[in-house]
Amino acid sequence: MSLAIPLQVVDELAELLGRTAVLSAHSDLVVFECDGFVIEKTCPDVVVFPTTTEQVAGVVRICNRYGLTFVPRGAGTSLAGGCLPVGGGVMIALTRMRQILEINLRDRYAVVQPGVVNIWLTNALKGTGYHYAPDPSSQGACTIGGNVATNSGGPHTLKYGVTVNHTLAIEAVMADGSIAQFGGPTEDPVGLDLVGTLVGSEGTLAIVTKIWTRLTPDPQGVRTLLAIFDSVDDATGAISEIIGVGIVPAALEMMDQGILVAIEAASHFGFPLDAAAILLIEVDGLEAGLDRQRDQITQICTQAGAREVRQARDAKERQKLWKCRKTAFAAVGRLSSSYCTQDGVVPRTKLPHIQRRITEIGAKYGVRIVNVFHAGDGNIHPVLLFDERNPQEIANVLAAGGEILEECIAIGGSVTGEHGIGVEKISLMTKLFTPTDLDAMRRLRQAFNPDDRLSPGKMLPTAGACGLEQRHPGRRAAL
Amino acid sequence: MIDALPISETLSPTTQDELVVAVAEACRTRTAIYPVGGGTSLDYGLPAKAPGLALSLAGLKRVIDFPARDLTVTVEAGITLAELDALLATEGQWLPIEVPQAGRATLGGVVATAWCGPRRYGWGQVRDYVIGISAVDGRGLPFKGGGRVVKNVAGYDFCKLLTGSLGTLGVIAQITLRTKPRPAQSAIVACRFHDWAVAEKRLADLVASAIRPAAIEIVTGPAWNDLLPPTTPAAAGWLLVGLDGSDEQVSWMIDQLHAEWRAAGVTKSETIEPAGAAALWSRLTEFSAGADPASTPCPLAVKASLRPSAVVEFVRLVLEIDPAASVQAHAGSGVVVVRFADFPAAAVSRGLIGRLQPAAAASGGRLVVLSSTHTSELTRQAVWGGVTAADTWMRKVKTQFDPENLLNPGRFVY
Repeated sequence: MSLAIPLQVVDELAELLGRTAVLSAHSDLVVFECDGFVIEKTCPDVVVFPTTTEQVAGVVRICNRYGLTFVPRGAGTSLAGGCLPVGGGVMIALTRMRQILEINLRDRYAVVQPGVVNIWLTNALKGTGYHYAPDPSSQGACTIGGNVATNSGGPHTLKYGVTVNHTLAIEAVMADGSIAQFGGPTEDPVGLDLVGTLVGSEGTLAIVTKIWTRLTPDPQGVRTLLAIFDSVDDATGAISEIIGVGIVPAALEMMDQGILVAIEAASHFGFPLDAAAILLIEVDGLEAGLDRQRDQITQICTQAGAREVRQARDAKERQKLWKCRKTAFAAVGRLSSSYCTQDGVVPRTKLPHIQRRITEIGAKYGVRIVNVFHAGDGNIHPVLLFDERNPQEIANVLAAGGEILEECIAIGGSVTGEHGIGVEKISLMTKLFTPTDLDAMRRLRQAFNPDDRLSPGKMLPTAGACGLEQRHPGRRAAL
Repeated sequence: MIDALPISETLSPTTQDELVVAVAEACRTRTAIYPVGGGTSLDYGLPAKAPGLALSLAGLKRVIDFPARDLTVTVEAGITLAELDALLATEGQWLPIEVPQAGRATLGGVVATAWCGPRRYGWGQVRDYVIGISAVDGRGLPFKGGGRVVKNVAGYDFCKLLTGSLGTLGVIAQITLRTKPRPAQSAIVACRFHDWAVAEKRLADLVASAIRPAAIEIVTGPAWNDLLPPTTPAAAGWLLVGLDGSDEQVSWMIDQLHAEWRAAGVTKSETIEPAGAAALWSRLTEFSAGADPASTPCPLAVKASLRPSAVVEFVRLVLEIDPAASVQAHAGSGVVVVRFADFPAAAVSRGLIGRLQPAAAASGGRLVVLSSTHTSELTRQAVWGGVTAADTWMRKVKTQFDPENLLNPGRFVY
């Protein structure tokens, strides 16, 4: 395969970064053709691995000089195609910028490079009484830079907030190759909240090269409950009731029978395979009153129809439960060769409704759907199973997924709670937002990324090209 | 109250459509627009100079939706904080953001200024609560971001962009908030300190304490003199710890805090009795605006944002510059509000720009002016501090949303 960009560029990049930090052979590049969203694939022309902010800036300046597009990438765990190098170009992999630069317990923050894996920070904090709160299921692999790009959540963000609530400041390389710092290790930065604006911008406004993040004190006590239901309706009803009476647990997750079977086969935890759904509920905080909260939740679940509510015996069992939950997507591999997960959000009182509709939509398209999701904040994750070799199945999965998300919009929700728009959900943006909303978003992008060389083809629909009518995994050659 | 603005007229739209029309018409005639909520923060920012019109949001105060069991509420921007609080209280909920003059201050104004009080330590800031926002930009075009669900990453986060933008990117019309269950119990535990080094020790201990305070406040100066019984020798200041939670949680924290302090050698600490605590919360909320009846005329009020560990040193510097200054530090969050008693105009460049701003910067933080009678001294450097690389990008954003610079011109950082 011939390179779509001049060899001279590769040489310049190699001169800047060293030969071992530049990949340009097709066999190397194919690893980077997609992220966790496997339905669309495009190879970058070059992948570079800078280790410093100045190197990132240098790469961007080279790209600008040659008019090339460039896209940042962390661990590539995005489920929405956020790392897809649309149109090829230069991929800036930040995984070698992986130092924890500072941990300051007195002032409750840490400074990390974007390639630091989420769990590394919490591991580095073990024994200090602090942790890093956002805990996406992929936390063993995903990077904090990627978390910032997508404003990642996770089970415990129900109580503790998502990435943006923990991000104090950002240093970034801008699309013009300059370096800027937004905010600092203190609260209330002066001027516009560009930190809050950059978090969740999916790598389309700037390339984050350093992050100042809040540290969260470990809870004094924790109670982890497993509530077992014979009906999905009863389970979702219990969720609405818990939130409705004003209890905000640390985490409140639902897994239905379909996913439980897969998790059980992988983990041998001892989940009851005849249960229609289970809720994994955790309350934490001060020991004082924790048992009362646990009892209150137990009572609500029982009244809602739970056949059994039991508490994790000890820390070991709790950890095992969470491991089961967080490896649920991996366990799906036992059910199907390919899957696509949706990320809709509904008002929490609408959970019973959306869950019924998901079942109906699955039946309508003949698509098997299993469910594992962040129930407490109304963030659903229906997992649609398919065989990537069967074009009809793919068409059905895309149609069913689209219909589920349209239903989320219809009942006052959103199409993505934590995965992002990426390339996957671009066509849904016009359903969520008006033309003037989208115009305002385009103008924001224009302010930061006027030539649209940074992560083109993401998040915002372009005029005349609305959404993808995909029938099979596209493996597009670089344009 | 809006005498502070160079305006020829005040428009008071009563619907969002009327608001769009009003902004669009002003844009057509290139007339500067000063959005006004309750008018409680008109002296915040640089003094307005360009003649224009005031756009009062006071008539836009409908409750659009309050699905209480979803813990969200959607309201128009002109609702006052007191009205919002009364609404949320009907369902045992609240917005844990404390704002001075809540009977006048509007939610739109609170979001535009990103103002928050002592409870920010335990409950978070305004930016953490806004989940949906609608506004009208400087071309008269309405736009929105976010939505009505508590978790949402669809599109750019205009909630964050507009929170704290001082009405310079769009006139905020409607806001959706996440709400919180109102805690059953609140208390304040206090101890005095005679030595500032001891104060820093207490603060550092609190960060590692088993309790989870809602607020960690340090107060000193004449505005607080009557607060607690005087002592001999006179205390340097007071450390006030606000606690929220269930009855069990709050009583446990009270006992635990007294015990931790005793173990650390604090000889006297007290739990403010409930009536006193409510009054004290109110004073801790009102102090920054000088709305507290005990407050004295103030030539200069500033807010510094610092690393929490730098708070005590900064307060000492303040007291060196003006021993009669009154200070309230949200010490856990590193935010210090100072109301100077004696700060002549001539001291703005020497004391404010020459000493206080560099002290904040040394901690990685900033210092801004909240209000001042020395209007002729209020330059961009004095009010907002120096220009950084980030300002370049703020200006580019401003140009996209308000190309003619009509929204609150000349008052913010650009």
